[in-house]
Amino acid sequence: MAEKGYSVRRLPGFGLIAVLTFTMLYLPIVILVFFSFNAGPSQAVWDGFSLQWYEAAFQNRQVREVSIRSLWLAATAASFATVLATLAALGTTRGGRFPGQTMIYALINQPLMVPEIVTGIALLIFVAAIKVQTGYTGMGYLVAAHTAFCIPFAYLPIRARLETLDPALEAAAADLYASPVQAFFSITLPLLVPGIVAGFMLGFVISLDTVVITEFVKSAGQDTLPTYMLGQLRRTVTPEMNAIATLFLALSLIIVTAFFLITRTRGR
Amino acid sequence: MDARVQDTTVKGEIDITGVNKVFGQGAAAFHALTDIDLSIATGEFFTLLGPSGCGKTTLLRVIAGFEQPSSGSLRINGAEVAGLGPNRRPVNTVFQSYALFPHMTVAQNIGFGLKMLGKPRREIEATAAEMLRLVRMEALAERRPAELSGGQQQRVALARALAPRPRVLLLDEPLSALDLKLRKEMQSELKRLQTETGITFVFVTHDQEEALTMSDRVAVMSAGRILQMGRPTEIYNAPVNRFVADFIGETNFLVLPVAQTEGDAAHLTLPGGKRAQALLPDGMLPVTGADVTAVIRPEQATIVEPDAGDMTATVDSAVFFGTDTHLHLTLSDGQPFVLRRQNRPGQQPPEPGTALGLSLAPGALRVLED
Ligand SMILES: Nc1ncnc2c1ncn2[C@@H]1O[C@H](COP(=O)(O)OP(=O)(O)OP(=O)(O)O)[C@@H](O)[C@H]1O
Ligand SMILES: [Mg+2]
Repeated sequence: MAEKGYSVRRLPGFGLIAVLTFTMLYLPIVILVFFSFNAGPSQAVWDGFSLQWYEAAFQNRQVREVSIRSLWLAATAASFATVLATLAALGTTRGGRFPGQTMIYALINQPLMVPEIVTGIALLIFVAAIKVQTGYTGMGYLVAAHTAFCIPFAYLPIRARLETLDPALEAAAADLYASPVQAFFSITLPLLVPGIVAGFMLGFVISLDTVVITEFVKSAGQDTLPTYMLGQLRRTVTPEMNAIATLFLALSLIIVTAFFLITRTRGR
Repeated sequence: MDARVQDTTVKGEIDITGVNKVFGQGAAAFHALTDIDLSIATGEFFTLLGPSGCGKTTLLRVIAGFEQPSSGSLRINGAEVAGLGPNRRPVNTVFQSYALFPHMTVAQNIGFGLKMLGKPRREIEATAAEMLRLVRMEALAERRPAELSGGQQQRVALARALAPRPRVLLLDEPLSALDLKLRKEMQSELKRLQTETGITFVFVTHDQEEALTMSDRVAVMSAGRILQMGRPTEIYNAPVNRFVADFIGETNFLVLPVAQTEGDAAHLTLPGGKRAQALLPDGMLPVTGADVTAVIRPEQATIVEPDAGDMTATVDSAVFFGTDTHLHLTLSDGQPFVLRRQNRPGQQPPEPGTALGLSLAPGALRVLED
């Protein structure tokens, strides 16, 4: 760079702000992870290294139960959301232009715009009404709410992928005697897979993570890992919570890393 | 493809009558194709030539089935195909962007059409191998399109379109993305493929030289209409109007008074007073004394002694082109004239200001409908 070239690095305090920001972002997490390996019961005093809190977490029947519920819910909701998001993306990019198209984008992306707490309360009232009418109190409500909430997150990568696909490919397939259904399954869908996988993963992480929606929709005994943790924190906090949070963090990191790897190699 | 009703008045492989294509409606309506009448014979190399936006791609898309004509009839091998989608027409397209399937190997790309037609695997593999041989790509069968050069992708696109043995191959400016040398190579390659397979080619280009060198027949299009259709020599030597004359090759336009008419020829008064015979277009009967526009190609005049020729001219400039030299001249009445002279060893271009005589080749002068 030229001697007098403009660089944001030269702004006074830029380096300091950067360091502070990253510290704020990561130091609390580092401390949380650090104390998950504490031999003692304290969050502040280091008593030596131990895996006892991980052991405790694994032994805890309730933790196992809510973890499995969380994973099952995330997988189910993300699957539904991915299918629906794929259809929505196809409809909005392959159906030709239609009146109200911009409106449709806005409607699909509702969960990105409406405050989560508002959606939560609305769902609470809505679901309560249905529960009274039908008496059904199963997981269906959580699945439906999580699915709706995950759709825009799944929709975005799928649509982005679809927009980079040359429509001439589908035309070429039709020209080479493929019926519309054959063209979809042999050309569009395979080329869409990276977007679909990315959409699923994003939806999965979002469902795994959401607290507010779950809190308002769940019936008794339907705690997910985040709502369970929230409930525990109201009582005593032992490093067992740190251990669970660390494992949760590791899982999210793995999925997000996979997401980036998949979206990066999507050129193929 | 299907044994649809065979018409007894079959003229050719493709018969287009009165086809119009209008995009949009009402005030925004745009006439992309107007009254297209066209008949292409089996095994013909037929070229659609015209400037950008004249409707070449639209016509090709109508033939392929990607667009339905607003009116008119389109027959392929005698069967009306109106309303049939592209997957139900015995026609394949080589797309300008190639549109190779990126997730398939070269061999899978080539076999795709046959697979969709439900052919057995052995046949698909055999045909794919044959096509690879035809386009000289045997070694690259297992590559993906992203691992090929532009010229190689072009060959795969050709092989893929040829593999199902269509009756007609449509090619939309297939060579425009290639550099000059590769382009020349692919031109003869295309010609060879067409001769070897005997498939009817409908080729789109806006490059007049490409059209003239490759085609059996050319249709010159402008603003959604076909202006002239004929063999390259006909189009070049006898353009029907100013647009065609201007678009195909270089030409001189001279405004000259009519001295006398007889049959399909007229005598025009050249600058300087001498007369020359010029061919008239069909049905044109100009009034004696009226001005008409006549065309003459730059290579159809030769230099003679100043007073020996049909006209006299002075040299403005000379541009050397290797095989020949273009002389920019001014005729005695002030009209510009370009003359192309083949270069001979030791010959020097004339100095600017030199006076020359010009002799016109017999039959070179043609009157245009304006
Ligand atoms: N789907 C469409 N809707 C509206 N107008 C269209 C559509 N397709 C083509 N046109 C118009 O029709 C005209 C002819 O287009 P076409 O693509 O056939 O031109 P072309 O001769 O192939 O030109 P080029 O050499 O640039 O490819 C253009 O003016 C174009 O804008
Ligand atoms: Mg075009």
